[in-house]
Amino acid sequence: MKCWNCEKETTGRPFCPACGKIVPRPPGATLFEVFSLKPSYDVDIPALERQFRELSLQLHPDRFAQADARERRLSLEQTTALNEAYKTLKDPSRRAFYLLKLHGVDLDREDAGTQKDMPAEFLEEVMELREELEGAMHHKDLTRAQAMAVDVTARQREALHEAADALRALHQDGSNEEVLVKKASHALGRVRYFTRFLEQVEEFEEEAVV
Amino acid sequence: MSKNGYLQIHDPLKPKGHAVGIDLGTTNSLVASVVQGKPRCLPVDEGEAMLLPSVVHYAKDGGVVVGARARKLAAEHPTDTIISVKRFMGRSPDDPETRKLGHYQFAEGPGRVVRFQVEGGQPVTPIEVSGEILRALKRRAESHFAGKVEQAVITVPAYFDDAQRQATKDAGRLAGLEVLRLLNEPTAAALAYGLDKGSQGTFAVYDLGGGTFDVSILKLVEGIFEVKSTGGDSALGGDDFDRAIAQRVLQAMGQGSPSPSLVAELLAAARKTKEALTDAPEAELVAGGHRQVIRREDFDAWIQPLIQKTGVVCRRALKDAGVTAAELDGVILVGGATRVPAVRRYVAELFGREPLGDIDPDQVVALGAAVQADLLTNTDRQDEVLLLDVIPLSLGLETMGGIVEKLIPRNSTIPTAAAQVFTTFKDGQTGLDVHVLQGEREAVEDCRSLARFRLSGIPSMAAGMARVEVRFQVDADGILSVTAKEQSTGVSQSITVKPSHGLTDEEVERMLLDSIDYAEQDIQVRQLREQRVEAERVLMDAAKQLGEHGALLQDGERAAIEAAMARVQEQAKGEDSHAIKEAIHALDELSRPFVERVMNQALSQVVAGHSVEEY
Repeated sequence: MKCWNCEKETTGRPFCPACGKIVPRPPGATLFEVFSLKPSYDVDIPALERQFRELSLQLHPDRFAQADARERRLSLEQTTALNEAYKTLKDPSRRAFYLLKLHGVDLDREDAGTQKDMPAEFLEEVMELREELEGAMHHKDLTRAQAMAVDVTARQREALHEAADALRALHQDGSNEEVLVKKASHALGRVRYFTRFLEQVEEFEEEAVV
Repeated sequence: MSKNGYLQIHDPLKPKGHAVGIDLGTTNSLVASVVQGKPRCLPVDEGEAMLLPSVVHYAKDGGVVVGARARKLAAEHPTDTIISVKRFMGRSPDDPETRKLGHYQFAEGPGRVVRFQVEGGQPVTPIEVSGEILRALKRRAESHFAGKVEQAVITVPAYFDDAQRQATKDAGRLAGLEVLRLLNEPTAAALAYGLDKGSQGTFAVYDLGGGTFDVSILKLVEGIFEVKSTGGDSALGGDDFDRAIAQRVLQAMGQGSPSPSLVAELLAAARKTKEALTDAPEAELVAGGHRQVIRREDFDAWIQPLIQKTGVVCRRALKDAGVTAAELDGVILVGGATRVPAVRRYVAELFGREPLGDIDPDQVVALGAAVQADLLTNTDRQDEVLLLDVIPLSLGLETMGGIVEKLIPRNSTIPTAAAQVFTTFKDGQTGLDVHVLQGEREAVEDCRSLARFRLSGIPSMAAGMARVEVRFQVDADGILSVTAKEQSTGVSQSITVKPSHGLTDEEVERMLLDSIDYAEQDIQVRQLREQRVEAERVLMDAAKQLGEHGALLQDGERAAIEAAMARVQEQAKGEDSHAIKEAIHALDELSRPFVERVMNQALSQVVAGHSVEEY
């Protein structure tokens, strides 16, 4: 990609190496590339935070308040990507979902057919948990709902570990891709369900307090 | 150094002058600027006062009075004097906040915007009223510096939604200001404190103003102010304390349906009582011939439910930020209403520590805004400090069954974006309805409707084939824009979202024309308007005469008069008041013989048998 200002070749970094002007993001760049990282489940969080602050100082629209319209737009685009990348990569669960998406499975898309794909044990688990929570909510039993939340939080952590193992294995060994992607996507399907479940408990708590 | 560096510094076409920070408050407004490296509030009202009461009075003769003089006129002219206009910004006429105890007359009008019926002309919208306050501040700052002021950072409550932010930005444009940034008030306060103390750590800012409440949790690391979470209530403030007093007094007076001037007088007296109770255990309220002693403990009890509302909001903000009250390094108090002792006690208890309040809580927001204005315009200072703020309320789209699907969750760092792909559900479907909402609740009717629009021009395909990506972009002011793109064909459509409760672009343009900032141009604009009205009157009159007295026309006269009329009509569309005046004059001259004949005939009917000349 050529720089819009000096027409020299750019490097994928936010600023042109030749003239120093802010440039567009390369098409198809991953969120890892924002921090010059290779896709991986393991991220050095303190280093990520430091880099986020340094890049924010350079890219934020406040730095371009007096610049021309093109540079202001590019600053908005670059900072939007930086914020999204930071939010996604600093959180283990979001990071796992994003890695899976890079492997072609987007669990955020309702039409992806991923829900139908889940194993039968999972559907049983869902039914059981839902019934129990509905019972607790019906009897306004906050203690029971909170006890369930503790249990589900543990299950969520364990499922995320499982997903992380599969995602790490994927990066070490490409031969088993189909099996590992399926494993990660089943584990993250559970994580997602547990997250929603915990949100429901939280709403119930808030209502019970008021 | 960029090759444009020289031009940017010396561009004679862009005389920007001083950049200022403006706290556009519910009760008072301030303007501040960084002078010799230090932020300072500028005197704005009579004498050396820093606070300009946010009160605008519309006089019979079309004049506008802003500030302390306007406040004095409120009791006598309650409906023509707008107090606390900020409460109405970006709100619809049927909003509960709009309908609280007050003394205004609302006018009907297009769109879902509040309009105040005032003396001296057209109804005015909250945007225009706020524009008058901003214009007054701009003028005071200009006279202080004896130079131009065209760029400003304007503060808004952190909890303001998209419609309220957009309205504030429009008000700035109306006042002839380039709005460099809308800055959240608690963040501005933190900036004023942080710079002063060079602090590091996690802070809570508790900001209770005249009409709005905000709380923000911020982390300060190496000059970066990162907002972790924010919460608030944009319909809760010191005004509500006044109203709580006024309502009890009305009950004591046995007044079920008070007149607007009694309400205005009572609210003003209640405000004085509230202020007196800060230092005294009791105070006497005098209004409408009624006297009543109010004890502080009664006042505290009346406002307790309001104060407790702020506690719920603070606890949620702490939770969203992932910190406990004990982990905070300090609590900062902002806003005039934090002077109320019961509020201070409550905050100290809530956070388990004495709050900081050593910068004047009235000035701290304006001082922070001045610092930000300086950071944005002064390239030498840019490596020192940066503010990273968040969006206060989630953004979402309506889905099947009236449920809101969140696309951007609250407390996301801005600027931020999100996209959603829609598919068609019928064969050959070429349009899709999109409804954008803001809020935390699940049901559409419990969220704020920002915009509804129809994506049209989708190429006709089988159901599910067309895939339309709708992208939300929230900029650094917290303002939303939406774009849509059909993915299979690349047909793209860009929509700038205008809140359902806001003004259209055309309305803002018209207001801009109506309020051009220079006195000389004001006169020209008024002359133009007068000539247009005159042109309309003359044309109506001429058409009437032609219609009723056509028989009195001589050969060729109709064609000549009609040509002159067309000329008037043509000029009235233009901007030149002189040209309109001349066209009217020409029409007058040309039609005089005809008009005389009409008059003669009319008179002759009254005074039968005599001609005009005989009298």
